[in-house]
Amino acid sequence: MSQQDTFLYALSSNNAWAGYKAHQNPNFFPKLASGQSPQILWLGCSDSRCPETVILGLQPGDVFVHRNIANIISPTDINTSAVIEYAVVHLKVKHVVLCGHTSCGGAAAALSDTRVGGVLDTWLTPLKAVRFAHQEELDAIKDDKARAVRIAELNVEAGVKVLMANFAIQDAIRERGLEVHGCLFDIGCGRIKDLGFGTKGRNGASGGLNGSSEEVVRGKHAQLAFRGGNAQMIVR
Amino acid sequence: MFNARLVASFLTRQSSSSRCATKLNSFSRLSSTANTTTQLRPGVRFCSSHGSFGTASRTAANSLTHQSSSSTTTTPTPRFASSSNSSSSSSSSSDVAMYLKQSHERVFESNRTWAAEQKARDPEFFAKLAAGQNPEYLWIGCSDSRIPAEQITGLEPGDAFVHRNIANLVCNTDLNAMSVINYAVQHLEVKHIVVCGHYGCGGVKAAMTAKDMGILNPWLRNIRDVYRLHEKELDAIPEEEARYNRLVELNVIEQCRNVIKTAPVQQSYAKNKFPIVHGWVFGFHDGLLKDLEIDFEAVLHDIQKIYNLTDN
Repeated sequence: MSQQDTFLYALSSNNAWAGYKAHQNPNFFPKLASGQSPQILWLGCSDSRCPETVILGLQPGDVFVHRNIANIISPTDINTSAVIEYAVVHLKVKHVVLCGHTSCGGAAAALSDTRVGGVLDTWLTPLKAVRFAHQEELDAIKDDKARAVRIAELNVEAGVKVLMANFAIQDAIRERGLEVHGCLFDIGCGRIKDLGFGTKGRNGASGGLNGSSEEVVRGKHAQLAFRGGNAQMIVR
Repeated sequence: MFNARLVASFLTRQSSSSRCATKLNSFSRLSSTANTTTQLRPGVRFCSSHGSFGTASRTAANSLTHQSSSSTTTTPTPRFASSSNSSSSSSSSSDVAMYLKQSHERVFESNRTWAAEQKARDPEFFAKLAAGQNPEYLWIGCSDSRIPAEQITGLEPGDAFVHRNIANLVCNTDLNAMSVINYAVQHLEVKHIVVCGHYGCGGVKAAMTAKDMGILNPWLRNIRDVYRLHEKELDAIPEEEARYNRLVELNVIEQCRNVIKTAPVQQSYAKNKFPIVHGWVFGFHDGLLKDLEIDFEAVLHDIQKIYNLTDN
């Protein structure tokens, strides 16, 4: 397919989508235009295989989104900080979900000793720091894929620590019980695993011994339940 | 009428590539059966179970498959809202539990159908998805929850590399966005970069409000700069909402210019004739994307007088 074809495809597909949505529910777009009140702030990877609203089974209006290379949460990054501030202070989201994923190119780059080039090496600095802080553990993993998964988990853990140190988030946790979650999306099977970092401080591996550890993230049309080490989607 | 519009839109706008041909087939199926299905289950919500609208045609057809099979083989699950209305306060907790169980299972049933169709279409679909990505697009959009890039464009997982921030800004000192552009252009070799804004953008409105917003100040300042660049044009628009909407468009155009100023875009285009940069605006009132029809070659030529980062 030529470049022009793919471009026209996206535009005409949007036309079809808008027609279908309006046909199915005439109030859909007027309601959307009236404002947003998302309950979830999603911080994820730019990777094309991790479309957040799709994999959460949610709808437009449900998830406020920031996606960057390797879902790195860097405390001095104004871009991410502005997103967090707007979502937490102004939109008052109830959940902040930081989600990494398997087979992440950023994780592979951080595990390699070659220079990526351009501005990328600078951006990946925090992930490199995670690698060096856990060098022994990572070196002990012989399988390349498993090592990349492990550094992706450690990256989420480090990112959640940065989130928990953010003043806007700290205030919201104290004042209105904001919840922070650290997750990993497995591209190979499509499932999200709760790693247990964040406000609950549970360990995903041993969590879910009884029903009390269940957490539910509610969207307008579906909800996501964190139960033990897994997340399940429920359509309302 | 709706389906006729869909089919017409595809017939007139799509070429005869194999991918598009598949979509046309799905649309024919949709147009021939949709009315019946709508009558069968008027209350059914369009598959949020699939999460993705996926490609409009494919998912719609898929939901039809699923719905018709469930209406013939099993009892259709009533929507909780309608069942509780009819039986008023008598719906017991076991009804609720049953509903939750059924609605939960429906997701997985739809998911299995979807997965099977993907596999039938391409036996290697999931293996390829796990092996790596080869997206055609880089999408730079707003964080706003109402604009999930994949759903509104019908793109599938693997099609678009995505960066979303407040008011879809591309600032030259922002390592975050610059890294995304660098990776998408140099490593993934995307063919199109889309900067997509939207009317009624809260970020743009916040930027035009005389207020100290803390850490948001340095970020939103970029939008005030866009206003200053186009002050005359904007000041001449008397109606406030129209002025905001025009600022949204001008902001998209300015961010496209910022994308074109980057080294990866200039260098890749000089070598490969891609990527091309597009400016789009999404409207909530009708759900449609508007192409601002940015003349990429002209803008590139224009900015290279000062911002040229290629060797020639």
